[in-house]
Amino acid sequence: MRSPTPPRHGLSKRRRRAWPPSAPGVGARRWVPAAMRVLILLCGLMTVAAAARAETAPDLTPMVAKFATDSYSDTADALAALSSSGSPRAAAIVAALADGRLLFDPVTKAVLVRTKAGGLEEAATGAPVASAPADLSPVRANNRVRRAIEAAAGALSLLDADPARRREAAAAVFKSRDAAALATVDAALAQETEPEVKVALAEARAAILIGKADAPEAERVAAVKRLAARGDQEALGLLRTVPADAPAAVTTAATAGIAAIEGNLKFWAVAQNVWYGLSLGSVLLLAAIGLAITFGVMGVINMAHGEMVMLGAYTTFVVQNIIRTSAPALFDWSLAIALPLAFLFTGLVGILIERTVIRFLYGRPLETLLATWGVSLILQQAVRSLFGPTNQEVGAPSWMSGAFQVGQMSITWNRLWIIVFSLLVFFALLLVLKRTSLGLYVRAVTQNRRMAAAMGIRTGRIDALTFGLGSGIAGIAGVALSQIDNVSPNLGQGYIIDSFMVVVFGGVGNLWGTLVGAFTLGIANKLLEPFAGAVLGKILLLVAIILFIQKRPRGLFALKGRAVES
Amino acid sequence: MSLTPLNARQLAAKTLAGAPFPGTTAASPPEVVKSPGARSLEADDLLLTAARPPRDPQALTSALLYLDAITVSFDGFRALNALSLVIGDKEMRAIIGPNGAGKTTMMDVITGKTRPNTGTALFAGVHDLTALDEASIAQLGIGRKFQTPTVFDMHTVEDNVLLAVKADRRAFANITWHRTAHERARVDELLERVRLQDQRLRRAGDLSHGQKQWLEIGMLLAQEPRLLLVDEPAAGMTDQETADTAVLLREIAKTRSVVVVEHDMQFVRDLDVKVTVLHEGAVLAEGPLDQVSADARVIEVYLGR
Amino acid sequence: MRGIIDRTGGIFLVLVLAAAVLVPASNLLLPEGSALHVPDYMIPLLGKYLTYALLAVAVDLVWGYCGVLSLGHGAFFALGGYAMGMYLMRQIGPRGVYGNPVLPDFMVFLNYHELPWFWLGFNWFPFAMVMVLLVPGLLAFVFGWFAFRSRVTGVYLSIITQAMTFALMLAFFRNDMGFGGNNGLTDFKDILGFSIQAPETRLVLFVASALALAAGYLICRGLVTSKYGKVLVAVRDAESRTRFLGYRVENYKLVAWTLSAMLAGVAGALYVPQVGIINPGEFAPAQSIEMVIWVAVGGRGTLVGAALGALIVNAGKTWFTGVLPEAWLFALGALFVGVTLFLPKGVLGLGAQLSGRLRRPEPAAPSPTPTPAE
Repeated sequence: MRSPTPPRHGLSKRRRRAWPPSAPGVGARRWVPAAMRVLILLCGLMTVAAAARAETAPDLTPMVAKFATDSYSDTADALAALSSSGSPRAAAIVAALADGRLLFDPVTKAVLVRTKAGGLEEAATGAPVASAPADLSPVRANNRVRRAIEAAAGALSLLDADPARRREAAAAVFKSRDAAALATVDAALAQETEPEVKVALAEARAAILIGKADAPEAERVAAVKRLAARGDQEALGLLRTVPADAPAAVTTAATAGIAAIEGNLKFWAVAQNVWYGLSLGSVLLLAAIGLAITFGVMGVINMAHGEMVMLGAYTTFVVQNIIRTSAPALFDWSLAIALPLAFLFTGLVGILIERTVIRFLYGRPLETLLATWGVSLILQQAVRSLFGPTNQEVGAPSWMSGAFQVGQMSITWNRLWIIVFSLLVFFALLLVLKRTSLGLYVRAVTQNRRMAAAMGIRTGRIDALTFGLGSGIAGIAGVALSQIDNVSPNLGQGYIIDSFMVVVFGGVGNLWGTLVGAFTLGIANKLLEPFAGAVLGKILLLVAIILFIQKRPRGLFALKGRAVES
Repeated sequence: MSLTPLNARQLAAKTLAGAPFPGTTAASPPEVVKSPGARSLEADDLLLTAARPPRDPQALTSALLYLDAITVSFDGFRALNALSLVIGDKEMRAIIGPNGAGKTTMMDVITGKTRPNTGTALFAGVHDLTALDEASIAQLGIGRKFQTPTVFDMHTVEDNVLLAVKADRRAFANITWHRTAHERARVDELLERVRLQDQRLRRAGDLSHGQKQWLEIGMLLAQEPRLLLVDEPAAGMTDQETADTAVLLREIAKTRSVVVVEHDMQFVRDLDVKVTVLHEGAVLAEGPLDQVSADARVIEVYLGR
Repeated sequence: MRGIIDRTGGIFLVLVLAAAVLVPASNLLLPEGSALHVPDYMIPLLGKYLTYALLAVAVDLVWGYCGVLSLGHGAFFALGGYAMGMYLMRQIGPRGVYGNPVLPDFMVFLNYHELPWFWLGFNWFPFAMVMVLLVPGLLAFVFGWFAFRSRVTGVYLSIITQAMTFALMLAFFRNDMGFGGNNGLTDFKDILGFSIQAPETRLVLFVASALALAAGYLICRGLVTSKYGKVLVAVRDAESRTRFLGYRVENYKLVAWTLSAMLAGVAGALYVPQVGIINPGEFAPAQSIEMVIWVAVGGRGTLVGAALGALIVNAGKTWFTGVLPEAWLFALGALFVGVTLFLPKGVLGLGAQLSGRLRRPEPAAPSPTPTPAE
């Protein structure tokens, strides 16, 4: 009994990799968990503290002294003061406090920082302390203090030397909307030169201001407008928090902003669905394109087609395993190495199947269907026996991981590359069929076998090669699909019905029909999903295709006239 | 005569009424396809006894088959281009023309396999052939013989004929079917006529090519059609068989209309009937064979100099 | 009757009816140690095989005689099964885990407040039995009406039947369909007041399955030996010719198709109480394709062969999954390939095939058996 097969395309695949902090693009950073972000900030602070801008150096001694009172509220006050001091030392002190390395002498009330190297220095000035006082206690922290530490660290990194870090800090403030950070934000805004960071800072400032009851009305309205201009889900959430008792100008601006953002988001939601649809379409295209050869051109009903895709995915898995153990440096090239191997391997398997089974069944499509179904069962079980029934890990090379942001939608690199790849495969195949002698022979044999044989074409060999070509392309598809689907022995089964639907919908024997069919079905599926849900959307689409086939049994781009009869 | 656009529903109603067929042997009981609104029994009897069915008062033409301005195009290619053709009752007509002239497409239109894009196709002046499917058209009395003999290979010769004998064609009626004396007699008679009585229990698939041709002709006769369409009956036949077939067709044409599509000019000459030459989906010339074969355009496109 | 039952059919009927008498007799009368004693656990297993045999007969009616290769008969089987399962669920009454007198457990679990409208009436056995026939029949009628009228044939038809059952599978996996989602319907207690676990009930179900198989066979056999059946074969072998003879092919197909679906529904209804569960897995396309191989193994277009094939393949499956579970799919796959390549007429045609080969050696090329479907 098979387990339920929910639609497997979509973005349903579990993410296998944590987002690396060095991920390209900025969009990815949005999802970095808050705790991790703070950690990153702190680490960053310590390493760059020394290089921090030193032109303003207010005396920190009175603020630092408060750490020595052993009172949580004093500690929090001190943190707040430090964070808005603008001093380059402040970051080091906050970091030390966070790590429990901020110490004080209960007797002299001296506040010291134990450096990571183990030495001691004066908290306020950073001057090294030669002799350690006998009795040092760490400045204690409770939850409130910890929150204050986080806020202070965030605020302080607004003044960091690294623009990327400043921008992240601004984003953190935008999230926390901590009114205490306002002064620092203003200070940072005044000296900021990077336009991108400036925008981030302005948005952070606006986020604080809209909820700040004592802020001037004009500033709050301006803040609302700025957020509305940002136009994303977070801005929408913020605008919804504008209290009802805020001045009328603010609330009306907020209402208008919400409406604008909602319209904007709706547009991007559709765009995102179209993108998902394109992605699904490319998956369908990859799965169906080999079938367009074996079924569309040769008329062979190959139910083992999905298993060819599966074999291609397993080829990738094996190639990656070998690379991991013997040449890890080549890992980024693993897919490029797997492609020709998968093509050759599945192509050979295809030729083997054609020579041993299918060639005896030409002209008997229903028998071919049954025999190839049997082949598919054997292949599945063979893979299951060799590799086990569970999903296999297929890694992604670095150029395929991560995502970037376009407007309000995020685009993952692997999906983008797969779309590009599916089109490349499609046009390469078109070229092979139209421009090479093999293509000429294939077309000749499929159009008039006897005539082709009479002209000296070895039809048997062409049959085998054509079938091998179709299978090889399925294998290539498997390499690509290993990046977005679970690599298991059942991988192929999920594609077989869809592939047939695409080929039949597009019109058998017409490669362009397959292209249009794949993307039409992909986009239609994803546009239906928000209204009907994933499963129901899929069912609706299947029913629609069934009805469509009844209406136009020969597909979207049907051949008409006498050619169909033969 | 001018034709007003036909009301398809009106025509369909008439079709259902199913005019009985001439050529039915006197012995055959009036077991014509009956349907709601069929004519009264007296009317049927009257029609059956009449030597020739009186014209339907509503008939738009006296011709048995009337094609006017039929156009069929496949993806821009015009297989039939405003084709007009009139076949009279009990007329035999030979149709010749080069490959791609539209001969087969014309047969497809008459038998309902292909719907014309435009044009009028009337049977017996009342039935709009463009609005009916193959089964209805066959039940009206149009039989078709394919170029390659098409019989039911897995059935016996006898059953092949039995399936063709004119009777109720409805599915449920045939579940509770019992062989009638009439059917038995008809099958015997037809098998004799096509000289296959010794083969009656053999599987049709085991017959020789020529025997299959004759079996198919037997099946066509069993349908008791008023109009027979025959596609290249002489293809693949010996000279003797060809001559025999010509004789048989001439005999058949005494009781019903026959349209023969043929390439073999000797065979056409043997038939000795009016000839229509098709070219590029339209009628190029029409008349006795000697006359059309002297036509300069016919020589140009078909016969060659 | 004489025309309907030929020799093979006669032997088959005698065997089925003998099983209906002898298996219960052996189970009840013979001592447990006896070599001929059929143990209790075998009864539902054998009963299950018989329902599969009936299903295979139904598949053969459309494939063997009509040329329609259905890859979706599992859907009709499962719908019949669900109709029976719904009756059995309603019979549980307050004995469920949650003790709700009206709602089955899964509905309580999924926070249903009242019975969905399509569950109404299923507590009444005659109604459920009508639904066993009507639901698959109606689906088949609607599907066939569209498909046959638009002349979808051959592989295209096979693929859309597969899509049909695939779509139904997805639908039945949904919890909000009201059919128990993933888990399906199970935990049945009794049927017509008799405990479903009781050996006596199982014997009765076994006998009912045998009788249903015999009756299904007779109905199909009556159909295919009538003139209607001759037309059906004519459609299979030369559809276009049949049309030009004046037969409305789509109606002929539709009758056989709908009847076949109803028989499959009956098979499903008998299957469910014997195995004690029905779930959406029965809709899986793989199941439906497996049914086709039963027919192919036994011999397509023979009805008896279909039943025989179902018994052989399923007995083999039980044996393999017990002894060599890994090898079963290899064996099944090899069966698909081997039968289509070497045994086009199935086990029943094996004798004829062999004697034919002895009489005149066939050319080396694969046997050009007339394969009418398309």
